[in-house]
Amino acid sequence: MTNSIEDIEDADCILIIGSNTFEQHPLIARRVVKAKDKGAKIIVIDPRKTMTAKQADLYLQIVPGTNVALINAMMHVIIKEGLIDEEFIKNRTKGFEELKKVVEKYTPEYASKICKVDKDLIVEAARVYGSAKRASILYCMGVTQFTHGVDNVKSCCNLALITGNIGKRGTGVNPLRGQNNVQGACDMGALPDVFPGYQKVNVAYEKFEEIWGVELNHEMGLTIPEMIKKAGKEIKFLYIMGENPMVSDPDIKHVEKALKSLDFLVVQDIFLTETAELADIVLPAACWAEKEGTFTNTERRVQLIRKAVNPPGEALEDWVIIKKLAEKLDYGDKFNYKSPKDIFEEIRKVTPQYAGITYERLGVDGIHWPCPNETHPGTPILHVEKFLTQDDLGRIFPIEYKNPAELPDDEYPFILTTGRIIFHYHTGTMTRRSKHMINEINDGFVEINPKDAKKLGIKNNDLVKVSSRRGGVAVKAKITENIKEGVVFMPFHFAETAANLLTNPAIDPYCKIPEFKVCAVKIEKL
Amino acid sequence: MKYLLVKSTDSEILKRAECGGAVTSLFKYLLDKKLVDGVLALKKGEDVYDGIPVFITSSDELPEVSGSLHCATINFGKIIGKYFADKKIAVPTKPCDAMAIKELAKLKQVNLDNIYMIGLNCGGTVSPITAMKMIKLFYEVNPKDVIKEEIDKGKFIIFLKDGTEKAIKIDELEERGFGRRKNCQRCEVMIPRMADIACGNWGAEKGWTFVEVCSEKGRKLIEDAEKEGYIKIKEPSKKAIEIREKIENVMIKMAKKFQKKHLEEEYPSLEEWQKYWNRCIKCYGCRDNCPLCFCVECKLEKDYMEKGKIPPNPIMFQGIRLSHVSPSCINCGQCEDACPMDIPLSYIFHRMQLRFRDTFGYIPGVDDSLPPLISELDK
Repeated sequence: MTNSIEDIEDADCILIIGSNTFEQHPLIARRVVKAKDKGAKIIVIDPRKTMTAKQADLYLQIVPGTNVALINAMMHVIIKEGLIDEEFIKNRTKGFEELKKVVEKYTPEYASKICKVDKDLIVEAARVYGSAKRASILYCMGVTQFTHGVDNVKSCCNLALITGNIGKRGTGVNPLRGQNNVQGACDMGALPDVFPGYQKVNVAYEKFEEIWGVELNHEMGLTIPEMIKKAGKEIKFLYIMGENPMVSDPDIKHVEKALKSLDFLVVQDIFLTETAELADIVLPAACWAEKEGTFTNTERRVQLIRKAVNPPGEALEDWVIIKKLAEKLDYGDKFNYKSPKDIFEEIRKVTPQYAGITYERLGVDGIHWPCPNETHPGTPILHVEKFLTQDDLGRIFPIEYKNPAELPDDEYPFILTTGRIIFHYHTGTMTRRSKHMINEINDGFVEINPKDAKKLGIKNNDLVKVSSRRGGVAVKAKITENIKEGVVFMPFHFAETAANLLTNPAIDPYCKIPEFKVCAVKIEKL
Repeated sequence: MKYLLVKSTDSEILKRAECGGAVTSLFKYLLDKKLVDGVLALKKGEDVYDGIPVFITSSDELPEVSGSLHCATINFGKIIGKYFADKKIAVPTKPCDAMAIKELAKLKQVNLDNIYMIGLNCGGTVSPITAMKMIKLFYEVNPKDVIKEEIDKGKFIIFLKDGTEKAIKIDELEERGFGRRKNCQRCEVMIPRMADIACGNWGAEKGWTFVEVCSEKGRKLIEDAEKEGYIKIKEPSKKAIEIREKIENVMIKMAKKFQKKHLEEEYPSLEEWQKYWNRCIKCYGCRDNCPLCFCVECKLEKDYMEKGKIPPNPIMFQGIRLSHVSPSCINCGQCEDACPMDIPLSYIFHRMQLRFRDTFGYIPGVDDSLPPLISELDK
C-alpha cells in the first residue's frame, strides 16, 4: 500500500476494485465504514455483488477481465470534464500527453460495450472519484490475477496520478495483501529477480557476495508457474515451504503430474496438506503462535511477534529448519544465528528500507518501512514529495485494453471467475481444521445467475458439472442475483471441488501471475 | 461497621498505593494465609493502555498488579466462569465485573462461595485507542510518553516520563466525542455494592481507603485482616460519608442524562440499524466477549440459522442474542468493544435491559432474584 490502513478513514472517495474488502480484509473494511460514516462516497467495481458491493454508493458490475477499459473510460471522462490535477501532473509526473491520446477513444459508450456496465454509471464513478479532495484506491486479486494484471495495476496508478491522489492521507494506490507476511516475504527477496530490499539479482549480486561470503548466481530465478512447467525436466528437486499448489495453483491436474515427475519433493508446512501428501519428505514447521520474529503487513508495517507456546512434536521454527539444513550442507558458519533477532540484525544490514528498524524500536506498534536510520520515524505514506525514479517523477503509462487469454465460445459459454469466502482462508489448510469454520461452511459451490440457471434448467442446490478445457468438477449450484449474467463464480478453498482444476495457467508476461479470474467453462446438470 | 477508613500497615504497599493500600493488603492477607488459591487481577502490559489478566499465587507478585488501569477494559466475569470455576480466588472488581460475576452466580456459572470480590469504585473506563487519540490531540503529547494515568475529581490526568503531569476535564473530552466509553457514560453503578466490599477514595482522608462493607464475608475479611495486622481501620467522619454520597449522586444523575442522550435522543433509527446490521461479518466477537453468554451449545450455530452467509439475518442472529442476554445485560460494553465493524451493540442491549427493568423491575447484577424470563421458566 502507498498509504497506511488508518488513513483510509480520511478519504472522501474510496474506489474498491477487484477486492471483496468486507469478506477478505474486514479490518480494512472497518476503515471504509468509518470513512463512509464521515460522508465518503464508496465505489465498488466487481463482477459479483459482494457484501462489499452492497455497501457502495456506486456499484459497477463489470465483466471479469475488462478493468483497463473501464478505468481508461473513467480517465477519459475525468480529462474531458477538467477534473485532472494539472499542477500535480506538471510537477510530479511524466507521460500524461501519451495517456491522453490513448484514452481518447475510450468513451463511456465504447467501454460500456466491453465491460457491460451502464455508460452513465461510468461517468458518475469518474465524476465522484475525480472531484473528491482525497480519493483512495483499494485493490486486490481482482486486479492482479489476469494475463494483463500488470496493465491493470498501472491503470489504477494512472488514475491516481492524473488526479493527484497520491502522497497524502486518504489517497493512494493500495493493494491489499492477502497474508500476514506476504509483504515481508517479498521484502526479503522471496521473488525470483531480487535480493532483500528489491535489489535486482543481476545488479546487486556483488554486494551480497561480499556480505554473505559466497559466490552467488546472478541470473534471475524462476516463478512458480515456470517451476511447475519445468518440474521433472530441468528441475529434479523441489522444496516447497508453506505453499499448497495442489489446491492454489491453476490447472491442478498438470500440477499433480509435474510434482509426481520430480525425483525428490520436500514440503515444509504446519499440516499435511494435499501437496505434502505427494512429498518424499515432510518437514513439520511451527505456526505463527509458536515462533518469534517479525511480520510485515500490507501497509509495510514491520511488527514484532512473540512466541506464545512451543511447537508441538517434532515441529521446528522455519529458521531453525533452514539453519539445520545449512549445517548438513557444510554451510553452518554462514547460518550462525542464535535467534530471530540475530537474523533481523542481518536484515537491517542488507535491506536499506529496514536499516533504521530495531527490535527495541518496534515495540507494540511496529514501524512502517522505509526507515533508513535509527532516528527516522518510518514512512506510513509513500511518495509524499517525490517518486522513487531517477528524475523523481511518477510515470504515467498509457495502456490499451487487451482480452483475457481464454474467452467464452459456443462450447464453453461461461466465464468462470474464482475467489474466496470469509469463512475460509486460502487452501483451507488451517480453516478447514477449525470446527467453527467447517460448521459454517465446508463445501464448494458455483454461483450462477438466475437467468443462466433458468436456461440450463438448474435449480438452487442442484449438483452440476462445471468443465473447462482442463478438467471438470461436480459441485452444488447456488443460484444468486449477485453474480453477473454469463459469469459463474467458485471459491477455490475446497480441494474436493477444486476450482483450480478448471482455471487457466496462462500468465502475465511481466510478473507471471496466472489468470485465476477468467477462464471459459460449460455447465451441465448432473 | 458499614463504612470504614482502611490503611495498609505495610510501608512498601503504601508507597505504591492509590490511596490507603487497602486492596493490595487484603490480597496479601488472603494469599499469605492461603485463604485463596490465587488473585485474578490486571497487570500493566506494554504500556498504560494495555492490561493483561494474570493469576498470581504469591504475595511477592502483588506489586505487578497494584494500581489502576483505566484503559484496560477487560471484564473478569467470563474469565472466571471459563477458567477459574473450581478455584478459590480473590478478584478486584469494577462494578461491571462484580455485576457480571453476581449474575453468573445466579445462573450457576460461578460459585460465589469461592470468590472474594474486592470492589473498586469506578467512574468509568477509556478505550485504549480513544485514550491514545485524545492524548495526542488535546494533551498534545506522545501517548507513548505517558507512564501513568488517573481519574480524579472529574479529570483525566496523565503523568509523563519527564515527571510532569497534565489534566483535562472529562466533560470537555466527552463533548468532543472522546473520554470514557459510551457504556461507561451511561452507567449508574459506581459503587459495586454487590461485591464483598467496595473500596475507593471518594470521601477518604489522604492516605486512607474508604471502604463500604457489603457482605458478611466482607465484614469478616476486614476484621480478620485487621486482627492479623495487615490493615488499620478507623471510622470515617459523617462528613466523609456525605461527600462520598454526594459524588455518587452527581454521577448517577450524569449517567441518566447520558442514557437519555444515547438511548433516546441519538438512538439510531430503524434505517440506521439496518445499515449497521448489513456490516455484520458474523465474527461472533459480540457473543464470545459477552460475560453473560454462556450456553455450551450456542443457538447461533444451529441449523436453523442460515450458514456460510454474511451478513446474517439480524432478526435471527441479533434477535436470539437479544432474547438470551438482554434481560441480564449489565451494560459492560464488551460486545461493542469487540465489534470489528463498529456496530453500537451496547446501545440496543442496554436499552432493551432498561425496558425489562421498567416492566419487571429487574436490575441485573444487583438484584438477588433470577432474571424475569428465567424465573418464569423455573416455576
